[in-house]
Amino acid sequence: MAHLSLKSLTKVYPGNVTAVEAADLDVADGEFVVLVGPSGCGKSTMLRMIAGLERITSGTLKIDDKVVNDVEPGHRNIAMVFQNYALYPHMSVRRNMAYGLKNEGKPKAEIEARINEAAQMLRLTEYLDRKPRQLSGGQRQRVAMGRAIVRQPAVFLFDEPLSNLDAKLRTELRAELKALHDRLRGTFVYVTHDQVEAMSLADRIVVMNAGRIEQIGAPIALYSRPETRFVAEFIGSPAMNFVEGVLGEGGAVLVSEGREVLQFDRPIGLAGSGFVVGLRPEHMKPSKGGFARLRFRRVFDEQLGADTLIHGTLDSGPTRVILRVDGALHLPDAERLEVGVAREHLHLFDPKTGLRIDT
Amino acid sequence: MVENRPLANILTHAVLILGVFFLCFPVWMALVASTHGPEAMARAPIPLWFGDQGLANYREILSGGVAHAGGVPVGKMMLNSLLMALGITFGKIAVSLLAAFAIVYFRFPFRMGFFWMIFVTLMLPVEVRILPTYDVMVKLGMLNTWSGLIVPLIASATATFLFRQFFLTIPDELVEAARIDRAGPMRFFWDILLPLSRTNIAAIFIILFIYGWNQYLWPLIITNDEDLYTVVMGISRMVNAGESRPVWHLIMATSVLAMLPPVLVVLAMQRLFVKGLVETEK
Ligand SMILES: Nc1ncnc2c1ncn2[C@@H]1O[C@H](COP(=O)(O)OP(=O)(O)OP(=O)(O)O)[C@@H](O)[C@H]1O
Ligand SMILES: [Mg+2]
Repeated sequence: MAHLSLKSLTKVYPGNVTAVEAADLDVADGEFVVLVGPSGCGKSTMLRMIAGLERITSGTLKIDDKVVNDVEPGHRNIAMVFQNYALYPHMSVRRNMAYGLKNEGKPKAEIEARINEAAQMLRLTEYLDRKPRQLSGGQRQRVAMGRAIVRQPAVFLFDEPLSNLDAKLRTELRAELKALHDRLRGTFVYVTHDQVEAMSLADRIVVMNAGRIEQIGAPIALYSRPETRFVAEFIGSPAMNFVEGVLGEGGAVLVSEGREVLQFDRPIGLAGSGFVVGLRPEHMKPSKGGFARLRFRRVFDEQLGADTLIHGTLDSGPTRVILRVDGALHLPDAERLEVGVAREHLHLFDPKTGLRIDT
Repeated sequence: MVENRPLANILTHAVLILGVFFLCFPVWMALVASTHGPEAMARAPIPLWFGDQGLANYREILSGGVAHAGGVPVGKMMLNSLLMALGITFGKIAVSLLAAFAIVYFRFPFRMGFFWMIFVTLMLPVEVRILPTYDVMVKLGMLNTWSGLIVPLIASATATFLFRQFFLTIPDELVEAARIDRAGPMRFFWDILLPLSRTNIAAIFIILFIYGWNQYLWPLIITNDEDLYTVVMGISRMVNAGESRPVWHLIMATSVLAMLPPVLVVLAMQRLFVKGLVETEK
């Protein structure tokens, strides 16, 4: 197994499209790192540079302290799983898995042994002689994983491997992937645009935005201390609510367009012109108490069983707000609600730079 | 569309049956004529049903050849045609597969320029470039040789173009997976591209084989050695055999024989072709 190091890695496509800009990242041996971000932010490009499928414009890429910028993909000691499986359609499952090993010149007996082991691990033994087209989507993706596993690569790369599967299968395979990682202790780099997948799989998440790395951290760290407004909005579902305004007199009230939008128990001890206050739906309690309070105008409820999402706006203006409350909670049928949030659940951001402001 | 309009139905069937008749009648006539004696074809009501000379006619052309046409045995000419057609077919498939492979999978200078050059030659049939090609053959001393017969016909813009279009439909991820699996370009070609092209190769094989088998003008120009005569040339020589009357019964028997190999190829390849279609994978 191996560690991976990216130093100011940059990719500029023809036509001057900068897909990845000066990315720095270190992935430790055996770590599960997930690259996440909205569509077009450069996740796939970054992964493909690691794989060697895309030329690196500038910067250095090291696998186990060896610079591999100009090494062919087959010689980088990596394996990749693609979104659309990319299995060789004319080869049986067994031959699909064997192909890479055969090209490496491994002896037949060893190839056979590795395939059997991987097939057992992935519950594919009975499908070994089938062609890919005779398998379901989930099975195909497991074959693709098997093809990666038998190579025993230093780094496993995944580009949205679960995106073509239905929701139930996705959850199943997610658990399987996690178990696989625990078992193989391999170095995994995994791309997804699904933040739930990222949260549940990753040791560390890399959030990307428009070609740049916004923040790197453990899932819980990103959730509880997002460094930028972008990360705050991207991580967590439903997304964080944002209330924008300037501090009013006394510093204990947030004002927007002349109307009070948020009241604090005491001054939050910050000078400055404007703020964006981030409030997670699950941290907003429909009660009179709480460090920060706002008045909420309820538009409709969405009952999900365990939780209920209450959609609405600020009473003072059009800013949309979502509350997430316990499904068993019975709220008065009122249109207006008082909502409170605890001190430690407030996130403050600079409205211009989007950076977190510590209080 | 399910329509029930009897008049239209009758009309379309009539047109189709007429078409079938026009297509099949000459073949029928060739078959019938090849079973009659030498006089039957020269008399006024041409027979429309089989005669009793079939066995004798075929035995004659297969053993001795037609004396009026240089006496080259038909069997020998058939073999020549077969060698030429197979040479052209395999050569064309090999060259055009490789050319399409290069154009689709490699980035080299003037790649698109080359592609368009090949594409433009699609519009130039053999006949147009026959004189310059002949000149080249003369200078290379390739008159009356197998390679002279085959090599100039091997380049195929059509097949290159068709293979290119097919390669473009193969997903990029497959190429990338192969690169990660440490398959070099030629290994990718052999292990993945070629097996996936099977159906296409079978289809193109049929077309090219018939094209090669039916070549007339080029063999006529490049050879005057009887050892290289092809059956199409042979038939034509029999028809134009100087003063004597054409021996239609033998000419037709030769024609029937000349039709067989293309039919056999179609039948043989069709099986693979249909199998390939049913097995469509991806
Ligand atoms: N071959 C290419 N040529 C030019 N631009 C490209 C090329 N491939 C990708 N891009 C651009 O680079 C940017 C990043 O693309 P990339 O595929 O890495 O996004 P992504 O984060 O993987 O998105 P998604 O979640 O939709 O897969 C995009 O703006 C895209 O348009
Ligand atoms: Mg992508």
